[in-house]
Amino acid sequence: MTIDATMVGRSYAAAESYQVGREKIREFADAIGDPNPAYRGVDAVAPPTFAFMVGSLALEQLLNDEELGLRLDRIVHGAQKFSYTRPIKAGDDIAATATITTVRKAGDVEVIMYETALTTVDGDPIATSTSTISHNRADA
Amino acid sequence: MISVEVGTELPPLTVTLRRDDLVRYAGASGDFNPIHWSDRMAAALGLPGVIAHGMLTMASAVRVVTDWLDDPADLVEYGVRFTKPVVVPDDDKGVTVTFSAKVDKLTDGRAEIDITAIAGEEKVLGRARAVVRIP
Repeated sequence: MTIDATMVGRSYAAAESYQVGREKIREFADAIGDPNPAYRGVDAVAPPTFAFMVGSLALEQLLNDEELGLRLDRIVHGAQKFSYTRPIKAGDDIAATATITTVRKAGDVEVIMYETALTTVDGDPIATSTSTISHNRADA
Repeated sequence: MISVEVGTELPPLTVTLRRDDLVRYAGASGDFNPIHWSDRMAAALGLPGVIAHGMLTMASAVRVVTDWLDDPADLVEYGVRFTKPVVVPDDDKGVTVTFSAKVDKLTDGRAEIDITAIAGEEKVLGRARAVVRIP
């Protein structure tokens, strides 16, 4: 099957919550070359784009939906936006849920928007990530 | 932060990305898409070479804003479009990306900031914009 506009609204929860550790935050900050002291130590907050990594656990579930027929190696990330209620911090236990919000088709290319809600496991909002991806089905 | 007005320019930032930076980001982020480390796989997709993770460019770009803020937690919104791939050559020099930013709008305790990202002569991000709380 292939993705189409009738699949807007489908939601995918990450299989498990994501436990944020301060050493993972440090590793991520090091990997983006950011020496900001806010990203280190016992009270560490995560760099803004750390939210994408946490959200990708929900994306994984979306890509596993065989009815959508999407392949990771045919996807290009077109745009990305985050809205933060508060920063992610060490010790957070985060639930991620991705919801398809738009599907547009142009020939072999499907432009898909999905929104990923990051909350505490108790449902308190942390951040929302909005992603636009293009999936190219040519020769698929 | 001393004074913020429309047109205030934030201190620019220049970042150099080499292949080992992409490997490190792949490991830290879990994004092992081979277009970020294999010339062969990048070429198979019609890319001019191995390209940086868009999310790595996005992470670098927002440093212009978070370096300027006293507290990175004052960032409330941040978005970009990935308009041009950042090609990272397999040499010691890597690619240099320069980020600059300017306050575009001020509204009830918030500043809207436009960010520009240039690699070589080309803009690599479009509509890169951050919204921050200001005192």
